[in-house]
Amino acid sequence: MEVDALALSLAYQLGTNAAFLFLAAVGLIIILGMMNIINLAHGELMMIGAYIATITHHAGLPFPLAVVASFFGVAFFGAILELTIVRRFYGRELGALVVTWGISLILGQGTFLVFGPFMPAIKIPGGSSSYGSFSYSHYWLVLIAISIALIFVLYWIYRHTSYGLQARATMQNAKMANALGVPTARVYTLTFSLGAGLAGLSGALLAPTSTIAPFMGQQFVAPAFITVVVGGATNVISGAVGSSLILSAVKTPIGMALGAFSGTVALLVAALIIIRIMPNGISFTIQKYLDRRRNKKA
Amino acid sequence: MTNKFFQLIGGDADIGSSKLFWIGFVIVVVLFCLYPTQVSEFRASNVAYYLLNIPLGLGIALLWGYCGVLSFGHVAYFGIAGYTYGIIAGNMAGNAYGPMVGVLGGLVASIIVAGVFAYFVFYARVREWIIPILTLVLTLILETFLGQTAGYQWRVGSVLLGGYNGMTGIPAFQIGSFVFMGYSFYYFCLIIVLACYVGLRMLLNSNFGQVVIAIREDPLRTEMLGYDIRARQWLVFVLSAVLASVSGLLYVQWGQYITPSQVGLYAAALPIIWAAVGGRTSLLAVVIATIVLNWVTYTLSSQGNQAAMVIIGTALVVTMLFFPRGIVIMVAEWLGQISNRNKPVDKVSAHE
Amino acid sequence: MSNGIALETRGVNKRFGGVVAANDVNLRVESGELRCIIGPNGAGKSTLFALLCGIQRADSGQIFIHEHDVTRMQQFKRVRLGVGLTFQTNRAYQELSVKQNLAIPNPGLSHTSERHELAKERLEIALNGFDLDPQDETIAGELPHHKLQWLEISMVLAGYPDLVLIDEPTAGMSRDETDRTADILKELNANGLTIIVVEHDIHFVKSVAQKVTVLHQGKIFMEGNVADVTADEEVKKIYLGHAH
Repeated sequence: MEVDALALSLAYQLGTNAAFLFLAAVGLIIILGMMNIINLAHGELMMIGAYIATITHHAGLPFPLAVVASFFGVAFFGAILELTIVRRFYGRELGALVVTWGISLILGQGTFLVFGPFMPAIKIPGGSSSYGSFSYSHYWLVLIAISIALIFVLYWIYRHTSYGLQARATMQNAKMANALGVPTARVYTLTFSLGAGLAGLSGALLAPTSTIAPFMGQQFVAPAFITVVVGGATNVISGAVGSSLILSAVKTPIGMALGAFSGTVALLVAALIIIRIMPNGISFTIQKYLDRRRNKKA
Repeated sequence: MTNKFFQLIGGDADIGSSKLFWIGFVIVVVLFCLYPTQVSEFRASNVAYYLLNIPLGLGIALLWGYCGVLSFGHVAYFGIAGYTYGIIAGNMAGNAYGPMVGVLGGLVASIIVAGVFAYFVFYARVREWIIPILTLVLTLILETFLGQTAGYQWRVGSVLLGGYNGMTGIPAFQIGSFVFMGYSFYYFCLIIVLACYVGLRMLLNSNFGQVVIAIREDPLRTEMLGYDIRARQWLVFVLSAVLASVSGLLYVQWGQYITPSQVGLYAAALPIIWAAVGGRTSLLAVVIATIVLNWVTYTLSSQGNQAAMVIIGTALVVTMLFFPRGIVIMVAEWLGQISNRNKPVDKVSAHE
Repeated sequence: MSNGIALETRGVNKRFGGVVAANDVNLRVESGELRCIIGPNGAGKSTLFALLCGIQRADSGQIFIHEHDVTRMQQFKRVRLGVGLTFQTNRAYQELSVKQNLAIPNPGLSHTSERHELAKERLEIALNGFDLDPQDETIAGELPHHKLQWLEISMVLAGYPDLVLIDEPTAGMSRDETDRTADILKELNANGLTIIVVEHDIHFVKSVAQKVTVLHQGKIFMEGNVADVTADEEVKKIYLGHAH
């Protein structure tokens, strides 16, 4: 009984850590994979998502609707950023990094100036159950479920919508896609907006588990970027999923044994070792493995 | 020998190689030497603070501007050197060699961390966007770590790390019984900054520097000329970390304290901004931008202006959008054009 | 250089996803040869060069340079064995001056002194023949296209190699420029440089090649002297088959 309980608790911890990493990274990795742009303002977009959710929720909106409002609010903001600033930096990876960093400084300090150092928190919705001597938050179980659902939704968007088709064409060869009539500029705007919206969604979903403050985005920077570095940009979805699972498997036991800070350090060390072995990230390795299997069959 | 020296120092790895330029350069250096005789020790000390940041800015210019590798986290080496110096010199308080050992220890600690980190990223041949991200993550983790070191259990020997309040009472630098404070510290900074600038300029004009520039222009082409670019990038990264450490050492010797915010996000942004606004492909442009922008931020924050980060961030975005090569460089080229307008064929117009 | 094998591959294979770029390639080039490699687009010519230099790693098979097994050797180390490469799209440093371009290659990276002297002579031949001045401060990006191609060849020679791989040197050149390129390459070859050229221009191939290798779908399709290869019906077919 106690062994079962321990195993279940470990699985739960792995699941919550993986879900956290996935949610923190998903918006970032989509923008990177499709556009080759690293959005260093990602943490601040999550912060804005959390603020929208907090403000609308305290104004009376039910929490799920507040989360949806965050998605659309930040997606809209992302579209504006893309149209005014980001689009001037396509093909200049380092330039894009630096300019989005500037944006992140403005957003963080700007929020501080407008809203002050703290916002009233959102209570974690739902209760908790226990099994053996361990307890499980219902909300985190919902977050794990939402993460899995998001994977399928994203897969469906890329495989079965016309936006997905155009986005994949643009990713493979933007010039050719453009010549064939794909409105690549609009695809980029939509992609950046989708990535920003997902950052906002994640920020809103994680808001109840965090203090709401102007610089809260910073706490997502390390986990989100490590997940992206390890995942690589070859295949967005498999990279995000594979990387969050592996990193969770590293972080969970170390975090449980030595504390949260050691868990984060372990993430960085793991990332350095993984890129030393797989410089193009896990998604590249997965892709190569799939190719090889297909070749064997053929 | 002297000929070679002038060739190296005067070469075109940096803006300005005309006679007029060097006359101006010497005049400015003399003015900096005379400055303390005209002002109070407090003001000289403020300017020393602007000066001591220059090696950090130069490190970023070397790495990003000349080698094409971007680091968002070089303040980590600033911090590692500063804290290590504080621990060693603090424990050896009263010993005249303490500060010297502290400097050595600080540099060694930085070199070890930078060397290990750089080994992983360069020998893995990672994509170029990965390095800035991992350097940023490293410095944020360092900040988090230092932030939670409050309390008596976090001490090394007799020195407390001090959590978010930082480490205090760090000894000033001394040689023999001579302690560098106030005016003398100002001159100490000035000499080190000059040495860093001239040394780097010579390095970049040498064959080593030309290969570094070639790596920035086209890593694969350079490797296919027989150079181990991983080793070069590793060396440049470590060298720029040493420059950041020099600033960190001077900083703790100047203020005699250091806090985790020195390795935080805001501090990490500053050297990038100096390099971007000045123009990262010119050492001198970065030096000028470092002095001017430090003066601006100091003035803003001493007036209690809370929007400093918004202003700095805006400066960065505007520069990247409208002056991608840097403001100082663009002004310098404009001046070069004016002074060369009457000559039919020359190097400056060939560069256009 | 006297006898010996400059370059050899044994059973080299490489695929990208589902595309076979090199299929059991067994290539042997002797020291002092001037070899042309031809083949239709997508035949795997540039991939072969990338494999030889180590920019790509072979899935299987072995590669030897001057009888050293370099199959698992880092690319810069292969260069230090005396190999030079020019890329299919010109990769001279366009932002740097001609002077800098020619100063960056380091002739001291390898080599014994006798090879050194020969290589130095060859660089002189190239610089004179291509009319390039190693003190020229002109920014390379301002040179006309053919001059840029010549600059990249000269840069590679400034590293003092004894084997060079040249990928489509005359693409985009006029007939006169092509002829001049051919003349200089022949002169360099006469001075002991082993040269392997990938080229489309059959006029150029006819004027320089001693031996021609035809690649098709990653495989060596035929090897022989120029006259035989250009007269071959099967070779004509694969070229025409792809053109239409």
